[in-house]
Amino acid sequence: MLKMQNLSKVYRTHMIETQALRGFDIHVREGEFVAVTGPSGSGKTTFLNIAGLLEEFSSGEYLIDGVNVAGLDDNARSRLRNEKIGFIFQGFNLIPDLNLFDNVDVPLRYRGFDSAERRRRIEQSLTQVGLASRQRHYPAELSGGQQQRVAIARALAGSPKLLLADEPTGNLDSNMARGVMELLEEINAAGTTILMVTHDPELAARAQRNVHIIDGQVSDLEHETRRALASLSTTPEAV
Amino acid sequence: MEVRPILSAMLRNKTAPLLIAAQVALTLAIICNALYIIRDRLSTAARPTGADETNLFEIRFYPHRPIADIRGMQIRDLEALRAIPGVRSVAWVNQIPLGQSSWNIGGLTTEPGKRDSNIQATYYFSGGSLIDTFGLRLIEGRDFQSSEVVESDPRKERAEPQVMIITRALAELLFPGAASVVGKSFYLGGSDDAKPVRIVGVVERLQSPSAPAGARAELSMIAPITYLDGYTRYAVRAEPGQRERVMAEAEKALLALSNDRVLLGKGGFDELRARRYSGERIMAGLLIAVTGFLLLITASGIVGIASLWVNQRRKQIGVRRALGGRRVDILRYFVTENAIITTAGVLVGLSLALALNHVLVGAIELPRLPLIYLGLGALVMWLLGLLAVSGPAWRAAQVSPAIATRSV
Repeated sequence: MLKMQNLSKVYRTHMIETQALRGFDIHVREGEFVAVTGPSGSGKTTFLNIAGLLEEFSSGEYLIDGVNVAGLDDNARSRLRNEKIGFIFQGFNLIPDLNLFDNVDVPLRYRGFDSAERRRRIEQSLTQVGLASRQRHYPAELSGGQQQRVAIARALAGSPKLLLADEPTGNLDSNMARGVMELLEEINAAGTTILMVTHDPELAARAQRNVHIIDGQVSDLEHETRRALASLSTTPEAV
Repeated sequence: MEVRPILSAMLRNKTAPLLIAAQVALTLAIICNALYIIRDRLSTAARPTGADETNLFEIRFYPHRPIADIRGMQIRDLEALRAIPGVRSVAWVNQIPLGQSSWNIGGLTTEPGKRDSNIQATYYFSGGSLIDTFGLRLIEGRDFQSSEVVESDPRKERAEPQVMIITRALAELLFPGAASVVGKSFYLGGSDDAKPVRIVGVVERLQSPSAPAGARAELSMIAPITYLDGYTRYAVRAEPGQRERVMAEAEKALLALSNDRVLLGKGGFDELRARRYSGERIMAGLLIAVTGFLLLITASGIVGIASLWVNQRRKQIGVRRALGGRRVDILRYFVTENAIITTAGVLVGLSLALALNHVLVGAIELPRLPLIYLGLGALVMWLLGLLAVSGPAWRAAQVSPAIATRSV
């Protein structure tokens, strides 16, 4: 689904050169649920941005669903992003002046679907996240958890093969976070590949695979190690 | 086109769009009428007088002391002027088109004793031929015969002309619908002793010295009168290309004949026209400046609000890009948003323009605004809106999609 080889990303200003990713290799298979962890400044967001075609990389190779991304122009990247990738952001990033229906409609309009098809997809995805009855409501009228569900509905509406989630529960309380995580697991179970950046080891432990990024380089962790890390980071009561 | 979501988002934050739409409406209402007034004034200033303006000039003198033999002076002056090489025709005239100071007679009527006529015309007279000297186009009848010329001494009794040449505009006013007016008579006023004046010719056009706006400018008549006044005004028509030289020689020739008079002025129609229509030109210039200023203010308003919205929505733009929006989609979003506001302003502005014109029609005798000006004004506002929003919209399209994942 997603394959990066020897990828690097360098940010340059006239004074400083920062190597955000270097010799970065990762291969995510179709249907996987991968959690990406790592300390702040390790390169997680840079990786996510490059994976989501929001930024270009400096060197290396990146293939998404078999398409080599290098050399694609801005329009082609936008089209690929729209068709193959769904985004879930930490801050939900819903458009406050649009109701839920119109928020979910945004990527579908860019896809060029006709209005009947868009309506079908919007209703289906809002139903999937349990908010079909509130499609005329505005984001400010919803709780944080509900807003994130709308964001998930928006990401799902275009039937993407890959879902990129950037700290999807970072702004939610534990109950809401659990609900969102369960929803992501359902989506993954239905066949969508998920790449989730998180700081939360407990959430990371629920993913099938955990990728750790340190100093712009990737290290795949074994399942047991992840479990151990998760148990270390939780309180004794929780264990 | 995502008109509906843009419109519904706009309706949730109405104040700024409403202010811009109001500004567009007001500007449109003003510029439609201003452009029409400018065109009206400039076309008024460009109307032909009916005279051979290119080759004609006037020269005026005023005596230091009373002149004993005015008739002799006029004859000598006219002979001296005719002797200048390049002179085509010369006449003593009481006034000249666009000269601003005019002789007028009111109460012209075709019915003897009718006192309530409001027809007024400017009154040209000359002992010579104004058809030749002014270069008027005779469309019916004939010029005066020398036997028809009467002499008038203002110090004695006023002479009454027996015949008259009138303009087509005056003929149509005196005899509406008449196929021919030559041979018909009219009266210079409704007094009981007013004698009939017979029309012997009709000229196509001869503007009055004041040349007011509208058809009144061409209500003129010419009488065959040699007027014996010390104040002299000669109209001189030169051969093509000779005017400037003839004008200089005319001044020398006339001053050489008599040194007991001063030159009051001389000049061609370019100067007369410039003087007569300086007010119209100033008004048109002011309106052009106001129109330009208004357009600038409106464009600045659109640039300002669009720039503010782009800055406020940087994150939102990034999210749209992350969700698959291309640069052109972002560009189109802001252009569409602006087009909706401009269109709303234009629709209100068209009604305002008509209302303002209604007021102006009554206040300054402006004709009704032709619909083409509304269309032109609307087009200008749309283009202005498009031009003004293009910069901010272009900046919006350059926002990176990566901004969507930034936490601040």
